[in-house]
Amino acid sequence: MRFVIDHLSKHFERKEVLKEITFTFEEGKIYGLLGRNGAGKTTLFNCLNRDIRADGGTFFLDENGTPREISAEDIGYVLSTPTVPEFLTGREFLKFFLDINASSIQNLRSLDEYFDMMSIAPEDRDKLLKDYSHGTKNKMQMLINIIAQPKVLLLDEPLTSLDVVVAEEMKQLLRSQKDGKITIFSTHIMDLALDLCDEIVLLSHGVLEVVEKSNLDNQEFKEKIIAALKEESYA
Amino acid sequence: MLNTLRLSFSLKNTYRVNAILHSLKQIPLLKRLLPETLYQVRGLKVFANVLTALWELITIFLFKYLYFFVMVCGLELVRPELQSKEAFLHVLLLLTLIGSFMHTNMFDATRDKYYAMILLRMNAREYTLVNYGYYLLKGIVGFLPWVLVFGLGREVPLWLCLLIPFAVAGTKLAVDSYSLWDYAQTGHVRNDSKLKKWPWLLTAVLLPLAYLPLLVGAVLPLKVSAVLWVLCIPAGLLGLRQILLFRYYREINQELLAGLFTQIDAVQKAMKTANEKVISADLTITSQKNGFEFLNELFIKRHRKILWRSTLRIAGICAILCCGVLFFMTIKPELKADINEMVMTWLPYFAFIMYLINRGTGFTNALFMNCDHSLLTYSFYKKPKFVLRLFQIRLREIIKINAVPALVIGAGLSAILYVSGGTENPLNYVVLVCSVTAMSVFFSIHYLTVYYLLQPYTAGTEMKSGTYRIVMVLTYVGCYALMNLRLPILVFGVACIAFCVLYCAVASVLVYKYAPRTFRLRT
Ligand SMILES: Nc1ncnc2c1ncn2[C@@H]1O[C@H](COP(=O)(O)OP(=O)(O)O)[C@@H](O)[C@H]1O
Ligand SMILES: [Mg+2]
Repeated sequence: MRFVIDHLSKHFERKEVLKEITFTFEEGKIYGLLGRNGAGKTTLFNCLNRDIRADGGTFFLDENGTPREISAEDIGYVLSTPTVPEFLTGREFLKFFLDINASSIQNLRSLDEYFDMMSIAPEDRDKLLKDYSHGTKNKMQMLINIIAQPKVLLLDEPLTSLDVVVAEEMKQLLRSQKDGKITIFSTHIMDLALDLCDEIVLLSHGVLEVVEKSNLDNQEFKEKIIAALKEESYA
Repeated sequence: MLNTLRLSFSLKNTYRVNAILHSLKQIPLLKRLLPETLYQVRGLKVFANVLTALWELITIFLFKYLYFFVMVCGLELVRPELQSKEAFLHVLLLLTLIGSFMHTNMFDATRDKYYAMILLRMNAREYTLVNYGYYLLKGIVGFLPWVLVFGLGREVPLWLCLLIPFAVAGTKLAVDSYSLWDYAQTGHVRNDSKLKKWPWLLTAVLLPLAYLPLLVGAVLPLKVSAVLWVLCIPAGLLGLRQILLFRYYREINQELLAGLFTQIDAVQKAMKTANEKVISADLTITSQKNGFEFLNELFIKRHRKILWRSTLRIAGICAILCCGVLFFMTIKPELKADINEMVMTWLPYFAFIMYLINRGTGFTNALFMNCDHSLLTYSFYKKPKFVLRLFQIRLREIIKINAVPALVIGAGLSAILYVSGGTENPLNYVVLVCSVTAMSVFFSIHYLTVYYLLQPYTAGTEMKSGTYRIVMVLTYVGCYALMNLRLPILVFGVACIAFCVLYCAVASVLVYKYAPRTFRLRT
């Protein structure tokens, strides 16, 4: 399976944020989408999630050579600020989600197994989500998106505001879940991207480009990325 | 002092101008025509400035006129024989008393105060006093012409007419100084956007006292009213002294405005926490249902406070009012004919009343802030069949919520109609109940449909749709216009039921066709 973006463009007023982006993502990989603040990472994700209309271009899934229109459930989108329905408890939210999606979820497990998987503490499970900490909300949001098993998982700066332990847990989880799907992970923190991602993609000047690691060591690779990002400010 | 006044004016103005420009940008057609750099265009700024100046004038004169026309002399429109100087002074006095503790500039938590005193750290005492003074002055100036027009027309002595605007300001001064004194004693800050119980209770007592005595012809005699009016002046002067001597304006405003926003960009955040507060923390609330019914049941149960409690309260008040009228008719049987005629022809009026008491906006607002706002970020939630399924469930709920007061009103009106002499055509009773219910169903569907079709909020819970605002204003204008209609029950009722049925059909088609696409977060 491949996820193909073809000449996707988006502008706000006169500002061209995405300029005819053309890119192909491969199954089973985690992509780190690096870009400076305001580069258009969130905009790209919003377009892919059809939250905003792109000006032009298409994107589709390519399964063994046959292109297929993307439907809502193919995409999972974890926003940078965790959003969970505040009036439910974690358990209720999970139950609700499993109830209405029971038919489409493979190897259904018990609620507590799912909580264990995310290491959400037992005493948190029956609290209202509004009283969850930021990190636990984030875990909840991630959990729902992981159970849904979307073909494409978009994560908008998800680990930026988590504490080290939770961030490490999330990283492990994303790694363990990467098979069979495409994970695109936006961040402006480079170490995180280098640590977690199989490919580094730069969003600058409204286009996507891969930064080849080839035979560079980590330090050289970092410098290369920074150089590429810096260019933008003189553009 | 002058400098503070000038500063606070220009601050308020900038803020209003930007709000106008911002809302202009929200109108679908204009949005494309207006440039991104809108805020820098001079011509538009001047235009917006003119608008705000007009608004200031309107608030000074037009609203006061409406106040006199509707509130003070409204009853005379229906029963011209009730017109008298005593009645005029009586109603005005009681309404003034209510106004004095229900609303004042000093304890109103507004944005411009927040900007000025919290963000710009202007001197709180000076800012408060200058604005308060301006507010009182505006009140006096706005009152004077109308009290002369309406008062002299009813042969109120000229000296009393001239005194009344100052007396009104006097009551405000007196009550506000009491509130300040109360703060100094107990630390409790009065907040007019979050009134406590007793102002409402007092209003519930005073409001009937303002109008009911007119009907039985037991208004305060001229001498008594005149004395009371005159007494307002020294009370006001005492209040004024207290207000000028008061020292804790910054403390009061800090507390008053703290709830407003914690930070300028945290407007939404504060709103969100306010919304989260209404969620019941009672964890014994559970649901045995599944899927969307489960979600819905928990939502309704945990938001009982804002969804059901107020609707039950409204229903209770309506029931009491109906009983009151019934009782009134038994002690004053001669009024029966009038009341009968009123009920027979005043049904359109109830469109506006139903508009006022329907819980549509409260419901959709809670739905968005505490539920859809977060769930819409999950793709499963946006699947068309789920959107429609949930729409049906929610429609059922909001209809239930709105139906309670509607049924009470319908039944009450029928009872009033029956007791006041009945009608030849028994169909009238049926139509009465049905049409009031139909109106409530209409509002339920209307608000929910508009919400699903226009979904006006962004992920940051910011309202961002000009179309939505326009629809809301049009709804209001439409209902208001109906108030002036006088039609027999049968004609209006049947028309109303037909309209509601038609509207429901159209709305369902629209929702089925478009909601899966329109029901998402704005960006
Ligand atoms: N709704 C909008 N209207 C106008 N401009 C926008 C809107 N959303 C984003 N932009 C602009 O698009 C650019 C990209 O924003 P964004 O995608 O949020 O960047 P990132 O997520 O990479 O930090 C920014 O310059 C921003 O100002
Ligand atoms: Mg972003």
